[in-house]
Amino acid sequence: MRSIFHNKIVWLSVVLLAALSIFVFATHEQQIDFSTQVKPILNKKCITCHGGVKAKGGFSLLFREDALAKTEAGKPAIIPGDPGASDMIRRLTLKDPEERMPYKHEPLSKEEINILTKWIKQGAQWGEHWAYVPLKPVTVPDISNAFVKNDVDKFIYAKLEDEKLKPSAEADKATLLRRVSLDLIGMQPSSTIAQQYLHSNDARAYEILVDSLLASPHFGERWTAMWLDLARYADTKGYERDGERNIWRYRDWLIKAFNEDKPYDQFLIEQIAGDLLPNPTDAQYIATAFHRNTMTNDEGGTDNEEFRTAAVIDRVNTTWEALMGTTFACVQCHSHPYDPFRHDEYYKFMAYFNDTRDEDSEGDYPLLRNFEDSSKQQLDELTAWLKQHASQQQAANINRFVRTWEPSINSLTADKFINSELNDTKWLAYRNHGSARLKQVDLQNHNELIYRYIAWDNNGKWQIHLDSAAGPVVVTVPAKATKGWQITSLALPVQQGVHDIYITYENPSLKPEQTGLQFDWFYFTEEFPGKTAKDYNAYKKLFWKLLTINVEATPVMMDNPGDMHRASYVFERGNWLVKGKLVTPEVPQSLNSAMPKNAPKNRLGLAMWLTNKQNPLVARTMVNRLWEQLFGTGIAETLEDLGTQGITPTHRELLDYLSYQFMNEDKWSIKKLLKTIVMSATYRQDSKLTEELKQKDLFNKFYARGPRVRLSAEQVRDQSLCFSNTLNEKMYGESVYPFQPKGIWLSPYNGAQWNMNKDGSQYRRAVYTYWKRTAAYPSMLTFDAASREVCTARRVRTNTPLQALVTLNDSAYTDMSRRFAYRMQKEAGNNVQQQIAKGYELMLYKNIAPNKLQALVKLYNEALLKFKNNPRETCEINGGMNEHLSPETSALIVVANAMLNLDEVITKS
Amino acid sequence: MTQKELHNQRLLKEAEHAVTHMHTRRHFLKESAMGLGGLALGALFGCKSNSSATSQVVFDPAHPLLPKLPQFPGKAKSVIYLHMAGAPSQLELFDYKPELMKMDGQECPPSLLAGKRFAFIRGVPKMLGPQAKFAQHGESRLWISENLPHFATIADEVSLLKAVTTDQFNHAPAQLLMHTGTPRLGRPSIGSWVTYGLGTENQNLPGFVVLTSGGRFPDAGKSVWGSGFLPSVYQGVQCRSEGDPVLFIKDPDGMDRDLRKASIDAINEVNQQSYQEYNDPEILSRISQYEMAYKMQISVPEVMNINNEPQYIHDMYGTEPGKASFANNVLLARKLVEKGVRFVQLFDWGWDSHGTDAGTAVDVGLINKCRHVDKAMTALVLDLKQRGLLDETLVVWGGEFGRTPMMENREGKQNPFKGRDHHTEAFTIWMAGGGIKKGFSYGETDEIGYSAVSGKTEPYDIQATILNQLGFNHETFTYPFQGRPFRLTDTKGKVIRDIIA
Repeated sequence: MRSIFHNKIVWLSVVLLAALSIFVFATHEQQIDFSTQVKPILNKKCITCHGGVKAKGGFSLLFREDALAKTEAGKPAIIPGDPGASDMIRRLTLKDPEERMPYKHEPLSKEEINILTKWIKQGAQWGEHWAYVPLKPVTVPDISNAFVKNDVDKFIYAKLEDEKLKPSAEADKATLLRRVSLDLIGMQPSSTIAQQYLHSNDARAYEILVDSLLASPHFGERWTAMWLDLARYADTKGYERDGERNIWRYRDWLIKAFNEDKPYDQFLIEQIAGDLLPNPTDAQYIATAFHRNTMTNDEGGTDNEEFRTAAVIDRVNTTWEALMGTTFACVQCHSHPYDPFRHDEYYKFMAYFNDTRDEDSEGDYPLLRNFEDSSKQQLDELTAWLKQHASQQQAANINRFVRTWEPSINSLTADKFINSELNDTKWLAYRNHGSARLKQVDLQNHNELIYRYIAWDNNGKWQIHLDSAAGPVVVTVPAKATKGWQITSLALPVQQGVHDIYITYENPSLKPEQTGLQFDWFYFTEEFPGKTAKDYNAYKKLFWKLLTINVEATPVMMDNPGDMHRASYVFERGNWLVKGKLVTPEVPQSLNSAMPKNAPKNRLGLAMWLTNKQNPLVARTMVNRLWEQLFGTGIAETLEDLGTQGITPTHRELLDYLSYQFMNEDKWSIKKLLKTIVMSATYRQDSKLTEELKQKDLFNKFYARGPRVRLSAEQVRDQSLCFSNTLNEKMYGESVYPFQPKGIWLSPYNGAQWNMNKDGSQYRRAVYTYWKRTAAYPSMLTFDAASREVCTARRVRTNTPLQALVTLNDSAYTDMSRRFAYRMQKEAGNNVQQQIAKGYELMLYKNIAPNKLQALVKLYNEALLKFKNNPRETCEINGGMNEHLSPETSALIVVANAMLNLDEVITKS
Repeated sequence: MTQKELHNQRLLKEAEHAVTHMHTRRHFLKESAMGLGGLALGALFGCKSNSSATSQVVFDPAHPLLPKLPQFPGKAKSVIYLHMAGAPSQLELFDYKPELMKMDGQECPPSLLAGKRFAFIRGVPKMLGPQAKFAQHGESRLWISENLPHFATIADEVSLLKAVTTDQFNHAPAQLLMHTGTPRLGRPSIGSWVTYGLGTENQNLPGFVVLTSGGRFPDAGKSVWGSGFLPSVYQGVQCRSEGDPVLFIKDPDGMDRDLRKASIDAINEVNQQSYQEYNDPEILSRISQYEMAYKMQISVPEVMNINNEPQYIHDMYGTEPGKASFANNVLLARKLVEKGVRFVQLFDWGWDSHGTDAGTAVDVGLINKCRHVDKAMTALVLDLKQRGLLDETLVVWGGEFGRTPMMENREGKQNPFKGRDHHTEAFTIWMAGGGIKKGFSYGETDEIGYSAVSGKTEPYDIQATILNQLGFNHETFTYPFQGRPFRLTDTKGKVIRDIIA
């Protein structure tokens, strides 16, 4: 009792002293910092009622101009320089609970009120949130000692000193080799690279290792795996039908881009606006598939415009979340609750993305048709010929049309249906005596119509009428039955201007409910040029061959041409059906980063703005993300939110320093940036946890030790493929089907089947695994992979028994266990102890500790005893009869299975 | 002390106990990281702790499923949600409309069509009278159709919500709205929220189990039991009646239980050594996860096995061991909640009665579907009751929307069979147990069952009510994501107080 009482007195005096010192310091006139001192109080205590969502009493604290404006009380609540006259301060200090703010909540502390008072006295300046301030050169702490290897370490060491912590020693070579390999290439390096490093005495050995990993083609695969979460990449379209989408070329584009170290600014420009670059290459078109990974809804009866809008909104949200670490989604319905973004700014930004050709069509249009080999050559020939025989514009148009079938009018945009309908809400389909309208079609100078259609009956004919269903007939076309979809053309008498056109269909031989004709798209154009050329016929034929040839195609971005321009509006309270004022493309004001002067008002301009060095968020977001990939946690933990509600960075100066470096010295080179980090002493530290660190810094916020983090879903799979010597190193191409239990895929109205590869593709890296949105690969999902319906800026690592079940029992892993056991036998001879020691070394590059070996040998002996008496189980665990079959092998398989499950193996140390 | 108070007290005790256990090193450290000075200040100056802090659900990645305390003592401990995917017709089951019969075959009045959009109806469809006979049942005199003869016997146990509405008329978005609070993908399902909030009582079983029947997954796919932005550990674990009951639960062929035990012991022995080396507490939790995995391998197949249920239970539910059926799933649901599983979600596919073929006709296919579920869902309520579990188990039954009083005329043509299109303006959901009123009907539709006229409710209200029964205020039960607190009911939802006992 006495001692507790005594303690209390001691505490009381300590606390009083502390409080007194705060008071003394506080009364001393100190400049109040808005971002670090004022904004946190406003966000926590005021902004729910006086912010972007609500402005109770006509008072909002989001922007300075709003906060200083007159409130409903008829005068401003903040008078800069005069806290005594500022109603805000008065209301914070009232006694009457009905009057006192925050309303019906705990009052602010004295200290908080003190800060706000002084802030108003000093002029109520709105500071800038750190992440919205353009990057400037950062002074590196002047530190030099035995620990420091590069500038990164100086920032880290300075903070460690503040915290009275000491850095750890460098990790041993084996640990470093494994760590840096998993980090840079996501798997084990070749044994040559590994052995070279382990046996080298060169002082530069580690750097040589790092350089060879950065140069490995596996580098691109590893970083692509990360980017696919941001791009919400999947091999299916999502929603109910979740049908297949052919978009793997985008994945391959990423792998190549990472491998060739495409500067990050260029990397983004091509993904956001590759199609708008001058004479875009196929690769630049493919890059834009980044934003075609949005979902498409093929469910019958769904409104295409609704889901087109949803896709555009997703593009806006993903651009902000993935590239700028900002949660923009909430600005859809109202001004940002905490950060300085106004409601209409959302829609101004959305206007950059809203004028694209895609319309939630079943065909996933627009597509880039991928010509390869001879057809590629023929396309080049055609292009060359056109240069001679057509205007530059016409040649470009034909080239684009052959490559993309665009810009066509999708039949799903038709309306005014009579005896016609959007079949399954996808294609315009006709019964006898049917008509429907296509709105505002530019017919000027167009004397040819190319269209894609199906006819099911030989007897019908269809007509185009101008301005009404009974209007003048432009053309009458007999429709003969086709074998499936067909592209064909017809000559049109030239019309003037833009018209609503009505397409009618007559076929009295049909029963009333029978459908005879269905369109996919219409392309109004000029006839094929060069009529007078002697090889006209040959090239026209080639044009038609290339136009109709069956090639594999990738969804890409493409803007509407002028006559198809789509206007953008504010959606009132986020409701796409309630359109407010008209908006044009613009970026938010509050990021202190204006549009570059020469930027066009389209996605290309937007891409230029993103990659402009004045943009405060793009470099910071990427640097923070790369750091997180290496250390397990970002410098700012909330990768998805660097705004005022995000978690404050542990080392803000370091983040700014690296970001500035990234844009300038490194010229946006991801490889250079990664090298800087992995070469640091900070990264190379041992990851053992001392008792002191366990108490002081369990989560490694100060980096007094190296990272120790569970592997990602992809890494878990890929390294096991390495151990078991089964990895198929083939790169690129269509997604693959490794082992997956039966019954995972059961989408309604979709007969798709998971047919496991048996040609060796089942052993390809995780990044190539077929990704079905509504039923993603289960063993990777269990290890926290994202289902990729929408952008995932950060995976949360969990630790669950279901993960254990995957690596223990998933057939993919039992298969790898077997092959790992065979490898141990092959490489270590007959002695079990040596076999296990070898296996351990193959996994972790180091000798197994005697007690670990003992535990595994014990397991081996128990298993051996069992199998010696049990031929059936011996055979089963070996996966059947083969040359390896023996009780000894089966026992070693059990051990191999256990070894794939060791914490050291599942974790990067 | 009443039974209810006793029950509440027990729940509270249990949860408090669990919470003390949950105070792991992380939370201790998090608190002490605020600084001892901070703690002392609070103690000395009598600062009250922030009330919202106490109701904040804590997430511990090392022990994400430990039982947690709800915000207030709830009446229910677990939920069984029976979702009839495809949307059953309320007009042939619960919502008795003799007036509609009088209009059968007549053209739909223009007033019902003006400004409306339907998934498939075009032009002017004909009205379709109820295709089933109705009668009043029990002391509560609830109207129930002849399609549900078993269910009619438990009229006095349930609350019917007859005026549920939605704003989504396609299956996938409507199912997502019903289960995740938004028609778009990416948000956590209600089962994930509940597991996140309450953890699970039985560490040897998943906290949130999903069972499907009808041969297909629901239209929105696995997203309707996904964890959205919540950690993936809270997603529904699909238990299957064919293949492994839980994916990868079965040891590889040739590995018997003893050998599995020996190998997990070896793994954990080596991991223990690694712990000595690295001192990383994550290793300790990995050790416990492997132990748990081993136990789960026993308890999951055990609970998923219905062979050993007594014959009277099989007769009661209409179960047939070895088959994938709704009845089997319902029995499994009872077994799972009995073992402490928090949320059991059933999906039965095949209720989309468009009338495009006999299987989807309201007078053929629908009756067959009813035969498959009627006995089992009735047995569930009775069985829970006889085991004393009904008071603490909330049973919810419904689809994602309703069906039109008009006969569907797909693309303007008469459908070959009698069918109804998707309808957002009125449908019926029933609830039983878990503190819900017995023998009660709430909400009314107009004379032809077209739209709700009183007691109108929305999916958000259903969600708010389920959370309420479990001890959560849907407005303050949030998860921080993208810089703001998210909740299941988004910006909407009202607890339907009228149906709470």
